[in-house]
Amino acid sequence: MKVVYPVLGRCINCHLCEVACVISHSESREPISAYFFEGLRFNWDQSQNYVDPAQAKQAGAPIPLSRCKVWEDNVSFTSTMCRHCEVADCVLACKNGALYRDESGRVLLNEDKCVGCWMCIMACRFGAITRNVEKQNVPGVKSNGINHHCDLCGDMKIPACVAVCPTRALVYEERDYPQEMESEITIELPAEIA
Amino acid sequence: MESNSVAQQEHTEIVDQLGIRSLRPGRYFGSLPQYYVDRDHDKCIRCLVCVRQCSWDATFYDANRNIVYNKYENCVNCKRCVAMCPTQCIRIREWTDGFRDNDNWSDKNIRGIYKQADTGGVLLTGCGNDKEYSTYFDKIVLDASQVTNPSIDPLREPMELRSFIGRKPEKADSSRELSTKDYPNIVAEVPIIFAPMSFGSISYNFQEGLARAATNMGTYFNTGEGGLHPNFYKYGKRAIVQVASGRFGVSATYLKQAAAVEIKIGQGAKPGIGGHLPGEKVTAEISRTRMIPEGSDAISPAPQHDIYSIEDLRLLIYAIKEAVEYSVPVSVKIAAVHNVAAIASGIIRAGADIVVIDGFRGGTGAAPTIIRDNVGIPIEVALAQVDQRLRDEGIRHCGSIIAAGGIRSSADVVKAIALGADAVYIGTAALLAVGCTLCQQCHRGRCAWGITTNRPELLPRLPADFAEERLTNLLRGWSHEIQEMLGLMGLNSIESLRGNRLKLRGVGLTKYELDTLGIEQAGR
Repeated sequence: MKVVYPVLGRCINCHLCEVACVISHSESREPISAYFFEGLRFNWDQSQNYVDPAQAKQAGAPIPLSRCKVWEDNVSFTSTMCRHCEVADCVLACKNGALYRDESGRVLLNEDKCVGCWMCIMACRFGAITRNVEKQNVPGVKSNGINHHCDLCGDMKIPACVAVCPTRALVYEERDYPQEMESEITIELPAEIA
Repeated sequence: MESNSVAQQEHTEIVDQLGIRSLRPGRYFGSLPQYYVDRDHDKCIRCLVCVRQCSWDATFYDANRNIVYNKYENCVNCKRCVAMCPTQCIRIREWTDGFRDNDNWSDKNIRGIYKQADTGGVLLTGCGNDKEYSTYFDKIVLDASQVTNPSIDPLREPMELRSFIGRKPEKADSSRELSTKDYPNIVAEVPIIFAPMSFGSISYNFQEGLARAATNMGTYFNTGEGGLHPNFYKYGKRAIVQVASGRFGVSATYLKQAAAVEIKIGQGAKPGIGGHLPGEKVTAEISRTRMIPEGSDAISPAPQHDIYSIEDLRLLIYAIKEAVEYSVPVSVKIAAVHNVAAIASGIIRAGADIVVIDGFRGGTGAAPTIIRDNVGIPIEVALAQVDQRLRDEGIRHCGSIIAAGGIRSSADVVKAIALGADAVYIGTAALLAVGCTLCQQCHRGRCAWGITTNRPELLPRLPADFAEERLTNLLRGWSHEIQEMLGLMGLNSIESLRGNRLKLRGVGLTKYELDTLGIEQAGR
């Protein structure tokens, strides 16, 4: 199955993949409406710390929540998103059956079933799952929101992030699933806890 | 005086921290902005792409006001933000409230004086001479075949662009068994070679792109004075390697793997002065390539200290020829200056197989502005004079001429070849092909387009395969155009055009200029 892979050493840290992601998941598919009017979802600040949405709105620093994320080092950058693993730890870990695999092989979310327990985030080995804190499915409980991850842009031929990347740092292709990825989840506890 | 400058330094640091650049004691105008970044805040979606792409510390985001703003004085008009903005909300304009109209004292002159009064330094710049001297290429027109001689359609008939560059035999042996001695030549499938640009002045990726494009198109790239990175030795058969006054990266292996060796005497943008790659730009890879310690300044002396005469030059030429066992041609590159014809004649007589003339429009990675803008002569006249002189002396076959500096289009290539060049170097055109916007900041080593920088965070902005693709496209487009132009002149080979000044006519030139160029007035 085709998924999005980053090409190391080609990312220029422009974050246009995130912009494209936000736009392609908006109703109007137009940048200004997508950013200003269509359900802004905030959760990272400029230094990539988690920010409570209420606070972020007050601070006037809205950053719409995209499904890919550029990780920044001083000199090297890379965009990460869901790999739709063949053996998807998140699907195994989801206690409500909210995450499922559709017939095309994509790992998708049934939004109504997610309660925000975050076992998927714990299980994901790519750190590709984030929290959509604007939605909550458990009334009366201060929720953490619901799962938010790449859906390979649903109906589009190639994902928006791959289409806009100015240096072709993202590729949409089929690769052999690495053998080591098929092993069981193993967690190495830090020495002080073990 | 010293305590004054220390105090000044402290002031500057604090004011920089405060972010108010114009408030520097005694320096009211030094940081006067040149460009105004016009941002449509209604269309700005605060994606901060421009903030991340700006490498000049000119674009910032204020989270409290939720606004992207600029420090205008730092903007160099490289247009990186304009090109990357997803909503096209940025335009860059001249800072319009200039000084009182004055044709004599242009803004450029005034600003230059302010800057120098601030710093007491030499003003540096990159790229080529941008002053409004007349360009002779624009006053020369080409001939075409009509009725009395047929033009040729290059799409239907063979059209030869292959050029042999180097010393030719005096005459072909006419006996039945061909015994003519061939001198080593380089064979370019198109008469366009990438100009010397050193690794250090340009990025690793760009040099790799040049090497690969040259390989694709069967032409050559020039390493410049910075040596050849070991990873690029595989492109050695397409490399002209330079031996410059600093002798950076020169070794027997370096010379032997090359297609030709070039002795650099001068450069069109800065004739008669050397170069200086600041220590902070000498990274591990550059230190390895240049064979100098990491972090040390790479200083090229103004003259080659072992060449004070044509006889000395002959010694170096033959030293190199011995080193490469007479297997590749040796070229000598000089800037176009007064008396260039006599100098070129001396160079050919000293044993050089190729003489490269670099005109005053030639680019540079760093040069004092005053020298770039005022020293040297145009390539067109230098070329015409050198070709004529070598022909008059009967030594034109002893060496090829490569014209460099100011070749902007395929028409310029054709005109240069008709004026007597065997091939041309393109530098600025190659830079433009990969995204350069001629902001003239190459010397600062933080090119936002990733071309003239080796900062690891900027390098990926120009991947080698992009450069390869775009440069190959450029050469392919130009070679088609050259073929068309040859065809319309009724020629089927670039050899038939070489030095064929009858195909050229001048428009709007004085008789003296026409004489110097060796061409006729249009209409005659």
